[in-house]
Amino acid sequence: MKSWRVWPQSLAGRTALVLLLALTAVQAAGLTIHALDRVDLQRFAQAREISARAISAWRTVNLAPADRRAQMLAELELPQGLDATLDGRPIARLDQPPIPPPIARMLRLDLLGSGPPRFRPREVLTSWGERSPVFFVSLRLPSGEWLNLRISLPPPRPWHSETFLIAFFAMTLAAGLLINWAVRRLTRPVRLLAEAAERLGRDVNAPPMPERGPTEVAKAAHAFNTMAERIRRFVGDRTQMLAAIGHDLRTPITRLRLRAEFMDDDEQRRKMLADLDEMEAMVAATLAFARDDSAGEPTVALDLAALCRTVLDEAADARPDLADAIGYKGPERLVVQARPVALKRALANLVGNALLYGGAARLVLTAPEAPGGEPVRLAVEDEGPGIPVDQLEAVFQPFRRLEASRNRETGGTGLGLPIARNIFRAHGGDVVLRNREAGGLVALATLPG
Amino acid sequence: MEPQPHILVVDDDREIRDLLSKFLERQGMRVAAARDAKEARRLWPLGRYHLVVLDLMLPGESGLDFAKWLRSQGDVPIVMLTAMADETDRIVGLELGADDYLSKPFNPRELLARVRAVLRRASGEAGAPKEPPAKAVRFGGWTLEPARRRLLNPDGAEVPLTGGEYELLQVLVERPNRVLTRDMLMDLLRGRQAGPFDRAIDVAVSRLRRKLEDDGRNPSLIKTVRGGGYVLAATVERS
Repeated sequence: MKSWRVWPQSLAGRTALVLLLALTAVQAAGLTIHALDRVDLQRFAQAREISARAISAWRTVNLAPADRRAQMLAELELPQGLDATLDGRPIARLDQPPIPPPIARMLRLDLLGSGPPRFRPREVLTSWGERSPVFFVSLRLPSGEWLNLRISLPPPRPWHSETFLIAFFAMTLAAGLLINWAVRRLTRPVRLLAEAAERLGRDVNAPPMPERGPTEVAKAAHAFNTMAERIRRFVGDRTQMLAAIGHDLRTPITRLRLRAEFMDDDEQRRKMLADLDEMEAMVAATLAFARDDSAGEPTVALDLAALCRTVLDEAADARPDLADAIGYKGPERLVVQARPVALKRALANLVGNALLYGGAARLVLTAPEAPGGEPVRLAVEDEGPGIPVDQLEAVFQPFRRLEASRNRETGGTGLGLPIARNIFRAHGGDVVLRNREAGGLVALATLPG
Repeated sequence: MEPQPHILVVDDDREIRDLLSKFLERQGMRVAAARDAKEARRLWPLGRYHLVVLDLMLPGESGLDFAKWLRSQGDVPIVMLTAMADETDRIVGLELGADDYLSKPFNPRELLARVRAVLRRASGEAGAPKEPPAKAVRFGGWTLEPARRRLLNPDGAEVPLTGGEYELLQVLVERPNRVLTRDMLMDLLRGRQAGPFDRAIDVAVSRLRRKLEDDGRNPSLIKTVRGGGYVLAATVERS
């Protein structure tokens, strides 16, 4: 089951998320302050309007003849939020708290009492309404009637403003895109560094990183290139040493082979030639490993199925006693892009190992169902005892041999598997070992399809 | 063939030179030895050599340059000794017209067998003008590249062959539409292949048919001839 992760894995994702969250908070706060400010202003204007009309209503009622008061009041145009009625009793209730001074100031209720004495109300009662944003103001006329004003101020609701929402989303979106772009751009050097390290792991001679960009990035790239150069030199020295040893051993081996031909004791000569064959195999393996022959060989279209059968046929020719334990299962033909000599060596090593340690080599070649994407799979199965699980990876170390096989009978150079793995990896594939459930070992190799 | 073939060995290692000379002499050959191209050029007019065993890694003038010079002197067969797995040298050498090659450290018996095979072929073709080595040989849509020892299918993809399969195919391609009995094939292939030949040839033919997409029960390319022989039924084009 795939769970959705809130916290992204990548540095770019995390940075972008943190920035985006912070930006959203700042945006919301900023826009709220702005909106509240506007609401304040609106309310102020509204209050002014209400108070002006309230005062004009009072004056109208106050100045009108008593019999026409109600009619004139009804004819007055009153703004939203203001209701005026002429009653016998005040609606402002004494058991409720009066209008708080700031609101009273805003409504300019004091103006009512500042006119000439005959315009002043005989009595002013104020109170909160049943619901808080509603206020009642009752003004007693000289006649004893009450002008009851019901004032309702709408509460500030900045979040409900359409402009607020549109602005908020537009700004957040724009900033988000900008953050995404900037973060990707800023974290690209980290990704490039990771990719360069990955390349170096596969190929010591990978091209150096460009030392450009911000100071820190250029410095990191420079440090990385220096490290790569040192590794390259180290590997190069070792390779050269191995190649030199291997190369120089060829002349004495050739001499010994010739000398052996002059030996009279057939038995001794046979043994000596066998020893020399073994030495030559070791030298050849060392050279192949050290020089990484595959690097120089061009990649061509190659019938992998024919290559598999060729390797198996040659193995069967060399070990006629095991011919029945050697088999191929797979397509008659399968063309891949590969380096023929290198790939043949890799396959021969896997098949040779299977025969040497497992007494059988059954090769199963599986073509991908659809071209592209899926790799070509190759399995070499044997019928031997297998190897301990904790050694499955260790045997790919150069010169690493399992103790049990460290004798002259099954000898080996300890380079067969590392060479095979180098070659498969140079092709963009890989090879691993697994113990089979039915017993025996299987070497599983992949090649890009 | 003359009773005693005369061989020129060119190798810069004194021990190998001496041992190889002794070894070949014991096999009934006359041997002259040179340590580099300069000495070999000096020796060249002094004898009529049937074959040159040439190490490609020589001090001074390279073995390849000397091989070129030898080619300009006549069609003496050359067996090259190359550094191990040095593909480019080998290809260049074979394209220059070396008749065979062995990589060091070589097996002396293998060298002897190759030398004999090359001498046999050379004497068989004596008098006939030596054809320049073909870069590519085409037959029935397939291409054989002798210098690279490889076979390309009609789509141009390389089809790997075992040593035995390759030798057999080469022999067949060199003699198209000619019936080759098992005995003839064995003779032509001797020294190039180890093992019991009789069965090996039948096995190699059946493997080769499979790789050439030739139906084993009704072959159209490598046909079986009644009485025990094979024939390559195809037009062969050299280029």
